[in-house]
Amino acid sequence: MKMRLLLAIAGFIILVVHGAVFYDQFFHEWERYQTAYFDQARSMSKTDAERASFDGRQPKIEQLLITRFGDARVDRCTTCHAAIDDPRFESYAEPLKSHPYSEALGDRKVDGNWERRHKFSDFGCTVCHAGQGRGLEAFDAHGGDHFWPEPMLGYVTQANWRADFKDRLVGADYMQSNCVQCHTDPEFASTPLVTRGRQLFVEKNCYGCHKIEGIANGTLGPDLSEVGKKFKNDYIWESMVDPRANLATSFMPRFNLTDDETKALVVFLKSRRGVNFAETSLDRYRQSLTAVSPVPPGGAATAAGDPVAMGERLLGERACLACHKLGEKDGGVAPDLSFQGLLRDEPWLVEHFRNPRARVPDSIMPSFAFPDSDFSALSKYLLSLTKPPEYANASEIYSNYCARCHGEKGDGLGPIAVYLDPAPRDFTKASFFTSRPAERFVDSIKNGVPGTSMPPLSRVFSEAQIRDVLAYVETNFVKDPRRELKPRDIPDQSPIAMSDDSIQRGARTYAMRCTGCHGRKADGKGPNALDILPRPRNLLNRDFIHSIPDRRMFESILYGVQGTAMPSWIDYGMTKNDVADLVNYIRSLNGPPAGGGR
Amino acid sequence: MNGTNETPSLWGSIRMMPSNIWHSLFRHPLPSSDLGRAQTSFTNFFLHLHPVKVNRHTLKASYTMGLGLISLYLFIILTVTGILLMFYYVPATSQAYDRMLDLRGAVAFGTFLRNMHRWSAHGMVAVVFLHMCRVFFTGSYKPPREFNWVLGVVLFLLTLFSSFTGYLLPWDQLAFWAITVGASIAGYAPFIGNDVKFLLLGDTLVGQEALLRFYVLHVAVLPVVMTFLVAFHFWRIRKDGGLSRPPEADAPPAAPEGAAPLPALAMIGATEGSVSVIRPKRYGVQGLVRGPFTKVGNVPDNSVFSWPNLLMAELFVFAITVVGVLIVSMLFDAPLEEPVNILHPPNPAKAPWYFLGLQEMVSYSAFWGGVGIPTVEVIILLLVPYLDRSKKGIGRWFARERLLANVLFLTFALVNIGLIIIGTFFRGPNWEFVSPW
Repeated sequence: MKMRLLLAIAGFIILVVHGAVFYDQFFHEWERYQTAYFDQARSMSKTDAERASFDGRQPKIEQLLITRFGDARVDRCTTCHAAIDDPRFESYAEPLKSHPYSEALGDRKVDGNWERRHKFSDFGCTVCHAGQGRGLEAFDAHGGDHFWPEPMLGYVTQANWRADFKDRLVGADYMQSNCVQCHTDPEFASTPLVTRGRQLFVEKNCYGCHKIEGIANGTLGPDLSEVGKKFKNDYIWESMVDPRANLATSFMPRFNLTDDETKALVVFLKSRRGVNFAETSLDRYRQSLTAVSPVPPGGAATAAGDPVAMGERLLGERACLACHKLGEKDGGVAPDLSFQGLLRDEPWLVEHFRNPRARVPDSIMPSFAFPDSDFSALSKYLLSLTKPPEYANASEIYSNYCARCHGEKGDGLGPIAVYLDPAPRDFTKASFFTSRPAERFVDSIKNGVPGTSMPPLSRVFSEAQIRDVLAYVETNFVKDPRRELKPRDIPDQSPIAMSDDSIQRGARTYAMRCTGCHGRKADGKGPNALDILPRPRNLLNRDFIHSIPDRRMFESILYGVQGTAMPSWIDYGMTKNDVADLVNYIRSLNGPPAGGGR
Repeated sequence: MNGTNETPSLWGSIRMMPSNIWHSLFRHPLPSSDLGRAQTSFTNFFLHLHPVKVNRHTLKASYTMGLGLISLYLFIILTVTGILLMFYYVPATSQAYDRMLDLRGAVAFGTFLRNMHRWSAHGMVAVVFLHMCRVFFTGSYKPPREFNWVLGVVLFLLTLFSSFTGYLLPWDQLAFWAITVGASIAGYAPFIGNDVKFLLLGDTLVGQEALLRFYVLHVAVLPVVMTFLVAFHFWRIRKDGGLSRPPEADAPPAAPEGAAPLPALAMIGATEGSVSVIRPKRYGVQGLVRGPFTKVGNVPDNSVFSWPNLLMAELFVFAITVVGVLIVSMLFDAPLEEPVNILHPPNPAKAPWYFLGLQEMVSYSAFWGGVGIPTVEVIILLLVPYLDRSKKGIGRWFARERLLANVLFLTFALVNIGLIIIGTFFRGPNWEFVSPW
């Protein structure tokens, strides 16, 4: 009997759940909206015939099948928004409000009646608004579900979007990124945000690192050609204002954009979806074949007068300090420009601007395609920075200037060290310092190390200051005293003259002995390079190779470089003549010295 | 002429047609006597799966907890809802996700069907596992039920595989990456790993081929194989003498009959066995059925008629299973994540929950975690009845005589459940340890 009672209870629950499910399935939100629309429309009808036309109508799922724009779309939006094309419902509340008419959208008044430019039967709804056309409940249809990749642009924010800028992602103008899927003219008047975003992309130097097919060819950052297809607005916004939020290792600088600028960039980037409706994939391919590098609107040409002032303005506008340091402003990625006038001369600067890798072969600085007048203005401004810093003592010099690369602890791990190649010298590897004379280091500080980010500092600091700093480094980081070296047999000049034979012999020795670390291309990227710190020298660094005398090459190869992985090759049976061939080979890999400048 | 042999008139035939149809369908009225109950069970196609009488011990809810039945009912619910879902589903990468959206938005009962199917599938994995635990802890795999245990383990693996193949079908991010992870685990097998993976996916990556393969496996191959094996599983229960029970459960509640036993070997084909009492009886064909458990003769024992006792119990378990599935399906919606985006893997990408224990182990060692340990586990599971030959402690939960075996199995179960819990709740991006709170 107890069993039967339990059965009866279970049966009852089954019945109730079925009832609830059936109720849920047969009474839809949208039916109420449609019924309301029929009632209202009937009461507004002016003629009997019009009235009668609503009599037989039952609520049903309405849908538009749009096949002209990309994959076939099923838009069921009009199931709820039944009055979307009924101008009498202009002032009703959603979902029964009719779609506004607007000159900006190309709608026209003909004989007192508005005529739509974008007819719903042709375009549907989601082509412009995004959202999920198949959904029949507001939450799903509008894309409120945080799994849905295309929430209604500017109308819907999803639950997991970041609260600190969520409300800024609202506004009908976000839809402009959908307009340009067809209206691809860069100056299209109805999409000012896209136009502005495109300008900003160039002005803020985004193109230096990022690639967008047909617009930019940067290689440092992610390719943004399809960014709008992959990411939602909140992700794009977040990646710009807080680059490390999504990728902890990102070195994208913060550009300190205003909200309006960020918004314009978001709208522009959201519009980048690979092939858009206006193109064929063939157009796209052709575009991708023509290398593009955008030329920002020339600054110098527009402003008359003082190129130094112009350069200063450009330095700000082009977001140079998003990476570099100048005075108090520090982008935290690239070298300090505060005393650039004391470090470099104009030929070096201009050549470096045109192609940073011409002077520092492993630099990550993008080649920006500014007009020459801009480069010249920027150079002039940088050269005007000739006020040496006023630091009281060696410790201050080190912590304010050297530590940015070499690190507070002298371990070569300063805040910007990871962006520099070759890496800053690690002073704590004592055997390197104790085996070399002090003059060698004084020379490196005074004249810099060509082909690297170590600048010549002889005009920034006095001879005495430089020796003080060196002493500071040796006491605090190197710690060990310089040691007496056994006499070494090192020729001052290569004993073998440069000749094809010698180069070939050198190449053979190189292939056998050196490629493991320095790489077959001699670019310092051999298979072992990743396991070695400091990294093997890039032997294609022209400025560097030309700056060192044969004697130093002989010393490094024959007796090794203490504190690094470079062994003493004399122990492995390499003779002076072998080394001479190697030196000839390495010199032959590098062209003639770069055109002047320091 | 005998009146009863007279051919009725046409009118008479028509008049009697409803009752004739009825009686041809149901040969017996609702039984009111033991004979009727026995006949009903014996002659009804659906009821003949049942024995005429079952031991009282079999009906104890605290013994079986109805877990096997629940598994069966979930399988039936899955079949029914699955067939209904098949009407709407297209196994094409270009359409599958849209079909999910339609199920959610536009198809009557679509969400509910999907919920029922999803939660029943998860439930079935869990319940089949619990059923296995029950069978182990009550020592029910011991002779003569060894092979049925093996069948059960195979059914458990098939259940996992069914669930796994179904996981891909919604073609959302969850599905895609779970299957990607699951298939890579298969790829860790030595020598044949990559071939197995390729055979499963029909490609090097999860894509259209994999979707089609998984679909065919999920809706055709696996259900048919499982139906067959389930039938086999049940048949073995009958032939192995019903559900396991302690020997004392067979004793009749009243005083035993005084008849003296005949020598057991007087009967051709009968085997010596644990039947302690062979009663005087003239045997028909049934008497030749081998095995000690076939009940012969109507003798007093501790059994009751299947109708209505067993049927009522089954109906009751069915009712609570359906109630459970319905309520869960009402309260929780089956997940549907973003459409597949091959370039944007979630971090972490997780396999279906029942494989998260494996994935957790894979995070320590790809081969041992993904292939070595699971293979060893499955082999040991399959061999359990042949490793443990003791005949003690059958039919009682956690029998003292089986302390070692039970502790070993409990450890196995808890370690696997623990790993699944760690993999599910305590693993964040890059499979690093995170707290769920």
